[in-house]
Amino acid sequence: MIAVREITKLYGDFTAVRGLSFDVGMGEILGLVGPNGAGKTTTLRCLAGIISPSRGTVAISGHDMRSDPIPAKRALAFIPDEPHLFDYLSVEEHLRFIARLYGVADVEARIPVLLDELELVEKRRALPGELSRGMRQKLAIACGLLHSPTALILDEPLTGLDPAGIRRMRETIIARAAAGAAVILSSHLLNLVEELCTKLLVVRRGEGIAYGTIDEIIGAHPHLAGRSLEDVFLALTGDPSAAPAV
Amino acid sequence: MNAFLYLSVTSARNRIVGMVRRARRPRYAAALIVGGLYVWGFLVRPLSHGTAEATSFFLGQPTEMIVTLLIVVTLMGSWVFGSDATALAFTQAEVSMLFSAPVTRRQLIKYKLFRAQFAVVINALIWVFVLRRGGTALPSPLRAISLWVLFSTLNFHRLGAALVRSSWREHGAAGARRHRASIVAFVAVGVAIAAGMIGARDELWTGEGIGPFFTALGRVLADPPAYWGLFPFHLVVAPTFAKSVGEWSYAILPALGVMLVHAFWVLRTDAAFEDAAIKASAERARRLDARSRRALAVPAAPASATSTIKLAAVGHPALAIVWKNILCLRRTSQWRVFIGPAVMAIALGTAMGSGETDLAARIASGSMAFAGMLLLFGGRLIRNDLRHDMQHLPLLKTLPIAPEQIVMAEIASSALPMALVQIGLIIVAYFAMLASTAQILPAEVRLALFVAAPFAVLSLNAALATIQNGTAVLFPGWVRLGPTVSTGVEALGQNVLATISNFFSLAIALVIPLGVGWIVVAWMQRSQPVSLALVIIAAAAILGIETYAVIRILGRALARAEPSQTE
Repeated sequence: MIAVREITKLYGDFTAVRGLSFDVGMGEILGLVGPNGAGKTTTLRCLAGIISPSRGTVAISGHDMRSDPIPAKRALAFIPDEPHLFDYLSVEEHLRFIARLYGVADVEARIPVLLDELELVEKRRALPGELSRGMRQKLAIACGLLHSPTALILDEPLTGLDPAGIRRMRETIIARAAAGAAVILSSHLLNLVEELCTKLLVVRRGEGIAYGTIDEIIGAHPHLAGRSLEDVFLALTGDPSAAPAV
Repeated sequence: MNAFLYLSVTSARNRIVGMVRRARRPRYAAALIVGGLYVWGFLVRPLSHGTAEATSFFLGQPTEMIVTLLIVVTLMGSWVFGSDATALAFTQAEVSMLFSAPVTRRQLIKYKLFRAQFAVVINALIWVFVLRRGGTALPSPLRAISLWVLFSTLNFHRLGAALVRSSWREHGAAGARRHRASIVAFVAVGVAIAAGMIGARDELWTGEGIGPFFTALGRVLADPPAYWGLFPFHLVVAPTFAKSVGEWSYAILPALGVMLVHAFWVLRTDAAFEDAAIKASAERARRLDARSRRALAVPAAPASATSTIKLAAVGHPALAIVWKNILCLRRTSQWRVFIGPAVMAIALGTAMGSGETDLAARIASGSMAFAGMLLLFGGRLIRNDLRHDMQHLPLLKTLPIAPEQIVMAEIASSALPMALVQIGLIIVAYFAMLASTAQILPAEVRLALFVAAPFAVLSLNAALATIQNGTAVLFPGWVRLGPTVSTGVEALGQNVLATISNFFSLAIALVIPLGVGWIVVAWMQRSQPVSLALVIIAAAAILGIETYAVIRILGRALARAEPSQTE
């Protein structure tokens, strides 16, 4: 579903991402974790077609993002940490706009369901400026889910959501994966990652330093056996103060 | 160093450094060279003696009074239609850090005034070079001082008007009573000018042609009661129009006095400043997001989305972008930005139609003048295209549409509404000509122009919008992005330079279309009206092809653009 091969992103002399390769299959949820500045957002932006990798390839549902971008993007939803919304479209107009772009014919049936699910019914005519941070995030999520993407890329999707919203989002991610979507979830909330993700990719300074299931990663680092994911993460990403006591 | 001074200087320095660093990229470096040549050619290049002599008549008293009138009309716009947010808006960072800091309201206003001086000084310098073609013996430094006084006064006036309006809005009648002196002065100025114009309407109507009309207008404005209304503003304008050092020395002190009175008025205005500023800043931050720092003007608060335009769920996806941008246009329309072109069109239409006795001829002249003004300035007055949407580049780039289709839809979003309004005005003008007893143009020529005009208007608007969108796509780090229109006097110089460069680019683009058009006509050997229509239509078609080719190039540039370039 999502196939990434040796992607590298250079900004002048600075290497933001270095030779990352991974796959996310149908129904899988990949957790992308790493410290600030590790290159997570750059990686996700490469996957979403927002920026082009300097080297390497990205394929979404079999479509190469560079040579065949339109079908690749049609199969994809990217939900960033900071919701990107158009200032002068209301909540409902955002959904209609996305529906037209992605060719969602049954939009009339889907909109009420999504608005109800994300508790935006009363705000359907509100402009983004009239919404709270959490509501704006919910709207961005609704826009991402409207066309039932087969590949879902989430960058800190829970930022700004209230507890009920967080629970619903967790359920949504699980449901979308169960329905066959390939999901990539970037988050600093390691308990969420541990709970939801079937695989993990740990990045540091643009490089992948661990990839696989949590058991596989711990298996490759026997001294981390029995530690929490937080300890594993801190040990792998090189925070000396957090090195697990043996 | 004072903290506010430190903030201002380091912010300006870092911004300039950032812009210069971008010039290391080939595209920006090329633009810098072209821009430098343009500024040199237009502003700095030594003048021939004849140019100065030829333009010296612009510094006559009629021009001085008309310029004063235009300034007063502009300021009235800020009183009546308001630009509170423009004058008051702070960035979110400023609100967070300065409003909670142990500083007084007056210090904040002084800081705001100081920050505005950057733009005022740049604008004054641009106009020093523009006006050196005015044919006077006034040295450039003195003219720079004159313009600085003029633009600073206008800036103070707008800020003062904004503070009074905000006080009135916040406190109702009590706020109005508190500022009754300012409000009475403003109303008195308007009444005096209106009384003068109405009293001399016969004199204005009877002059024949543009020159005599403006001469008569200048004379009316130089006599009471209009002169009384314009007097304080005339004092500020006078040094700029001084023809000698002696005349300037006599005029500059009263001008400085008026400027200081304005500064005193602003600093003493007891408005609910923080509240108003925070509201304005929050509004700006909400709508302009990260780009807010570059905004020079802010649109009125958008109407809640109570009405919409229906969008079918299926169809070409690019139309969804046009739909989105038309909604944006409806919700961000700053009608006050059309006041200037409308006033100029009415004046020009009245001048062109002066001497004519029937109303239809005046309507025809006014409509044509307005259409012309919209063609000249319209593209800068609405920005519901990539000049706005480049702020949303990450979102645009995830959309499943080819980049050149995005560019085309964005350009159509601003070019089509403007072209349709112009076509409407041309239709009005045509039928007004038919109804008029005056023979403005031969009937066949009128008909030929009427038939060909829609083609020309569409292609010209598309070409101009493409040029303006092109700068946003190619140089997002250098141009101001967002829906807002720079209307303040402090942006006038930059606007003039940008408008002229747009038309210079358009003139280059028109060389081939007009050449081919004439060749086609010469080959067909038709009568004059038919030839005229054919030239226009053929040229419009070729310009359309050129525009499409540029859109394809811009599509490729958009595909390569990265969010870091707009951040």
